[in-house]
Amino acid sequence: MTLLLQLLLNALVNASIYSLLAVGFGLVYRSMRFFHIAFGSVYIIASYTVIAGMDISGFPLILSLAAGVLAGALSGVAMDKTVYLPLEKTGATPTILFIASLGIYILIVNLIALLFGNEVRILSRGIEPSLSIGSLIITRMQIVQFLAGWIIIILFWLVIRKNTFMKGIWALGETPTLVRVLGLPYGLMRTVVFALSSAFAGTASLLIALDVGIDPHVGMQALLTGAVAVIVGGVDVYWGWIGGAVILAVVQSMAVWQFSSRWNDLITFGILIAVLLFRPQGLFSPRKRREER
Amino acid sequence: MNYILHLLIMIEIYLILAYGLNLVVGFGGLLSLCHAVFYGIGAYASTLLMIKTGISFLPAMLMGMAITALFAFLVGIPALRFRGDHFVLVTLGFQMIVFTVLYNWVGLTRGPYGIPGIPRPVVFGYEITSLIGYLILVGVILMVTIIILFILYKSPFGLALKALRDDEMAAEGLGKSPIHTFLYAFIIAGGFASLAGSLYATYVTYIDPTSFTLDESIFLLSVLLVGGTGNRLGPLVGVVFMILLPEALRFLGLPDTVAPNVRQMIYGLTLILLMFLRPQGIAGEYKINHYGKAEN
Repeated sequence: MTLLLQLLLNALVNASIYSLLAVGFGLVYRSMRFFHIAFGSVYIIASYTVIAGMDISGFPLILSLAAGVLAGALSGVAMDKTVYLPLEKTGATPTILFIASLGIYILIVNLIALLFGNEVRILSRGIEPSLSIGSLIITRMQIVQFLAGWIIIILFWLVIRKNTFMKGIWALGETPTLVRVLGLPYGLMRTVVFALSSAFAGTASLLIALDVGIDPHVGMQALLTGAVAVIVGGVDVYWGWIGGAVILAVVQSMAVWQFSSRWNDLITFGILIAVLLFRPQGLFSPRKRREER
Repeated sequence: MNYILHLLIMIEIYLILAYGLNLVVGFGGLLSLCHAVFYGIGAYASTLLMIKTGISFLPAMLMGMAITALFAFLVGIPALRFRGDHFVLVTLGFQMIVFTVLYNWVGLTRGPYGIPGIPRPVVFGYEITSLIGYLILVGVILMVTIIILFILYKSPFGLALKALRDDEMAAEGLGKSPIHTFLYAFIIAGGFASLAGSLYATYVTYIDPTSFTLDESIFLLSVLLVGGTGNRLGPLVGVVFMILLPEALRFLGLPDTVAPNVRQMIYGLTLILLMFLRPQGIAGEYKINHYGKAEN
């Protein structure tokens, strides 16, 4: 019983990180309607900026963390400005953007591996102090992850709930041409989407890297976590993304409880395929009328 | 000399994989990210058959092909209900699932320890051990593959695939069943990937799941995207480019520690540039422009 509660607690902490990834991936997927694989490389850029900062000069940690998120956001915008936007001007379809994105991902991951090596890098040394609540144990870093993650998720929801600009971004995913016809700032919207999405990726990356370190190849796992959460939960609902992330975290914990964490991928992608087959709009999306699709 | 023979054998093995995948990616217009799975299942199935039951290479290879084809059928049925990025996701999902099974089902596959000491193939009484022998064996199988596939490319079946790729609704209106046609293409591609897998396993005599990862699937897909798809020349150009590029880098004198990363960076950059300059690849015919539904 204690084990089950402990695993559920861990699941809630993981869910906060997964939610950040889901929101980051979902923002681009929902408004640009293409599969942004390079999201995974944004994820590692943020943490490696911090590592570079620590290698070169002993920046204070808080400052370099902010620099990491900023670098992530800038890199996301840079990808849009140098690759996606020019491609879209030539009339590229989402598949072409998807392949170009794959190219960016491969390029950046290997560039970082070339510069910093393939092995795991640790951001903070020493054993994290931990807290016991009854028989449950939670580390300080887990508390930080939990609070940071959920506060950002809720704040972001409060901001976008009534915001006309964000509603415009939402509309971008429905009818991109109409957004321009209405005179909404299309270029600015794209920039904001990529900056926000990448900042979310960067935040998640730093929260994980501070705990367990980072290596150049974890970006794909982060991308897939975010993507599966968004698609399982439903692309069209903000809380669906979060719901997908929570489901993923809880089910993975239950899998650890019943079998072993080695089978996590099987369960994650099993859920993805099952949802795509039986409820393609996602678990939390309202069913769409045929003419709306 | 041995080194050049090794390169030629790898090129031949990858040609089998690429020409098979061409049927799905180039003719069907579907980006499949689980080709390495079929390659891997073929390698494991024929190896396990040879080791556990002691049958010889050719029957093991053919039975491996049948097993993989059955598997491709099982993957294809759910995956082919989707087009566009959902198809990519479902195939990616199967790639991850099968890799997890290969890696963790230690009782059958020995998991991360891999299977060492795979017997050399014995074909019609001759045991093939030399590189030249392999070059000929793989070459013969490649020739058979190519002849079958080239006939398929030109056949009504190949043309139906192209028609479905270009405008699914119109082709369906002309009586071409998308499910059947795509599923056959998927199964055939899987079967030929399995041939390549059996040849690879007996050539290297050691297999472990890390040869059949998502990265391998991405590599196979990029081979086709770089070389071009939808015709007979594209896969050849892609395989030669992608296999010989790292060797060219070696001759430029890059140290071995950075060479793999530089190679991958060149692949990535190539993909980006191609999307700008030549979306159909270097020598391809099919220009990727589809996404989910037929466009006009």
